Amino acid sequence: MATAAARSFGLTAANRRIGGKLVGAVLSLAFVLVFNFFLFRVLPGDPAKNLTRNRLVPAEQVQALRESFGLGKPLPQQFAGYVRDTLRGDLGISYKFRRPVSDVIAERIWPTVLLLGLSTVLSTIIGLFIGIRGAWRRGSTFDRGSLAVSLALYAMPEFWLGILLLIAFGVGVGPLPGLFPTGGISTPGTDMTSLAGVLDVARHLFLPCLTLTLAYLAEYALVMRSSLLDELGEDYLVTARAKGLRDALVLRRHAVPNALLPTTTLIFLNLGFVVSGAITIETVFSWPGLGLLSYEALRTPDYPVLQGVFLLFSAAVIVANVLADLLYPYLDPRVRTG
Amino acid sequence: MVGTHKSGRSGKARRLEAVAVTLAMLVAIAAAPVAGAQEQPAQKLTFTVGIVNDVDSLNPFIGILAETYEVWAGMYDQLVGYSQKDFSPVPQLAESWQVSPDGLTWTYKLRQGVKWSDGQPLTARDAAYTFNRIMKGSVEQTNYGNYVGNIKTVTATDDATLVMVTKSPSPLMLRLAVPILPEHVWKDISGKEVETFENEKNAVGSGPFILEERSTGQFVRLRANKSYWAGAPRIDELVYRVFNNADAQLQALKKGEIDFADGLDPAPFNSLKNTPGITAVAADYSGFDELAFNVGAALDTGEPIGDGHPALKDKRVRQAIARAVDRQALVDRVLGGYGTAAFGVIPSLYKDLHFAPGDGEAFDFDLGTANQLLDQAGYRDTNGDKVREMPNGGRPLRFRLFARQESNTSQQSVQFMQGWLRDIGIATDVKVIEENRLTEVIGQGEFDMFEWGWVVEPDPNYQLSTFTCGSRSYKSGGSVLANLSDSFYCNPAYDKLYEQQSITIDPARRAQIVKDMQRMLYDDAPYVVTFYYDELQAYRSDRFAGFVPQPDPGGVLLFQYGTYSYRAIAPPSEAAATGGGGGSALPLVLIGAVVVLGAAGALLVVRRRSATRDERE
Repeated sequence: MATAAARSFGLTAANRRIGGKLVGAVLSLAFVLVFNFFLFRVLPGDPAKNLTRNRLVPAEQVQALRESFGLGKPLPQQFAGYVRDTLRGDLGISYKFRRPVSDVIAERIWPTVLLLGLSTVLSTIIGLFIGIRGAWRRGSTFDRGSLAVSLALYAMPEFWLGILLLIAFGVGVGPLPGLFPTGGISTPGTDMTSLAGVLDVARHLFLPCLTLTLAYLAEYALVMRSSLLDELGEDYLVTARAKGLRDALVLRRHAVPNALLPTTTLIFLNLGFVVSGAITIETVFSWPGLGLLSYEALRTPDYPVLQGVFLLFSAAVIVANVLADLLYPYLDPRVRTG
Repeated sequence: MVGTHKSGRSGKARRLEAVAVTLAMLVAIAAAPVAGAQEQPAQKLTFTVGIVNDVDSLNPFIGILAETYEVWAGMYDQLVGYSQKDFSPVPQLAESWQVSPDGLTWTYKLRQGVKWSDGQPLTARDAAYTFNRIMKGSVEQTNYGNYVGNIKTVTATDDATLVMVTKSPSPLMLRLAVPILPEHVWKDISGKEVETFENEKNAVGSGPFILEERSTGQFVRLRANKSYWAGAPRIDELVYRVFNNADAQLQALKKGEIDFADGLDPAPFNSLKNTPGITAVAADYSGFDELAFNVGAALDTGEPIGDGHPALKDKRVRQAIARAVDRQALVDRVLGGYGTAAFGVIPSLYKDLHFAPGDGEAFDFDLGTANQLLDQAGYRDTNGDKVREMPNGGRPLRFRLFARQESNTSQQSVQFMQGWLRDIGIATDVKVIEENRLTEVIGQGEFDMFEWGWVVEPDPNYQLSTFTCGSRSYKSGGSVLANLSDSFYCNPAYDKLYEQQSITIDPARRAQIVKDMQRMLYDDAPYVVTFYYDELQAYRSDRFAGFVPQPDPGGVLLFQYGTYSYRAIAPPSEAAATGGGGGSALPLVLIGAVVVLGAAGALLVVRRRSATRDERE
């Protein structure tokens, strides 16, 4: 038989495919690198002027500040310097904090990873579970209830949901006292390395994480439900049943894997939007992560920080997409040879 | 068969596991408040202030935000302070001072026995070091350059005496808002290193508070300096907590997570007035809002720029508009009553410097007179479209009017103004844009009118400088850059008075010049000053009492020129020790509920599982 040949052929095809994806990813990253520079230069406002606003700083001094930011040079020269430094791993010095951007980002990255990571995992698991259950028992009380809730959550702006939860569980309404802090990541003065510190962070994490989880699980549940419903009408399921498979196996081995494809795509595509959600929710809950950092940086505008954060965000999304591409062959055999 | 839910064992086991993990996590998080409550240090008295803008850099040569200056006020002393009553110069590190008869040499006697927070003595040499560093530095000049520009030499003749020689006599020598830094710490930080020096670890100061910890995006924590020369603060700890969202800050105050909030909007402020345990104060503030005109944009060299409407170069048009703005209506309807109608650019809380037009000379709201003035000046509506034209019958009086996206006050004010201007035959195109963009539009002179405001320091020099010819935009490397002037007002007579006030040391004589300058501005009307707004502040009066306003009475309670309230506040009754909030029974109830629900859920799953097994067999 030609299995060996086919397999080796498949392998090279896969290699070529992966190689292509990686090249694409690197090109995207290069594009982002270039685009970032010009994107933020279009922002209104002169950082030197804004940083000295409302104070008697002589014009020469403002000019000196501008020079020290490297803003006095012609744009092409600024751009060349930016590319050179970025490739060297030097993201520059923040205009606002006057510290290396990499330090500022390093300090802020973990809160965001914690918040986004946990809420992405939770919303995926819970969303898929609700979607599968709803579709499988279409029309049941659970299905109708979860559908209504999902639609409501899906339609809700994140910041509004965040503020509602903040008022309800942060401050308390009526007899309900404020159970959780209204913002921040820890109580000032708590030792973060102790058990009490960890619990303190968990308590602060609860509301923002709940908001993001609720905001995203709805979409996953809805997509999972509808794609599973599509699959349930397919002939191959009838065949599977006719073979005598139990319902559970029909669902797990046949229907769900196929229905997962669009959902997986969505989850990975969504990572970009999750980042924007982070900016909103971190602002609502004063969560000291990268979202809040970019919000602050936009006010100045602090070009080096904005460039650094967006480069990181873009890289994260690009990597996620590459991962999705690599994962796809395992989920969908058709892609393996395609 | 179809429709009943069953699944394979391994799938179910996995799901069960997931449910259990989720439940465990929920329990852990819900249980946390109890653990956190137990962790609260019992005796420490902490005063927490909410801020809606994170401090930038705590390095006094680098940071620039108002919040940061507030933190430094606690960490460092200046030579001369501002009195709590009326901002007049009061001894701080300098116990007394003397100026030579020619007004050029200032001798400051420094307070003896003052110690830095690391125990070293503070002497005149530290002060001399600080000023010399600024005069010789470049980064150091960004924040304090304007204070040393007129200084020739600074020397410490002994540990207690500081002598400064100036180029010309200057009243600014009692307004040197420069934090005095310890030489033994800062001498090791080079002019290059200072650019990125954080000043967060073991910062040494002499102020009433000592920096303990800073966490970017979260908080700044300081402890009281129990041996402060003017008396130890009665609180143990001072925390500034960062909110990037005014709503969250308000909720935190209501809940008692923070003790003080400011910069409130009228609606939430009113709601706080009726909240038990909270005292809300509408304080007199040093800010004003104005409707500004492009009176003829030009560079500092006189070269015209921009595309301002020619009618606004005519002071009669500007004066007519000044009569078409109902200041009291703006106060009542835009500010919700929290402010006062205004005329001059120095707010009324600076009593000695404030100018108010006398009876009959005020441009009071009167649309009839405004119409009449425009008619007399030759701006008539010749084509019957209800919009006046230039005297030569050409261009209609249609002005671009800018408001700021960041400010509701700005946008609402502009709407009222648009209506009043329509009534005097002036059309406006209202544009709402971001402050950053507006700064650029103004700097290029590409506007006719806009609504904005200033916050005025106790010393009038800065505010008055914004109307000098030299403050107009300037050219650098081929591009036009904005400076301080935003009306492009340029009047040699005014500039002369400006020079004069800047070298007049006698307060009464200087005040007279400053008032004359305001009168000139009022008559030439590059601005229609609309109102002085109140600063809306609120605090937990169930936890703290003893705030002192600046100026007294009626001024702000925090964010003052000084640290008066921070040092005065204490619990309302020293006996009431325990703070509000804290753990209640509810978290326990919640945990209970979660545990019960979890158990029930698990039971259900297990039962179902056995049911399916039964069915299978």
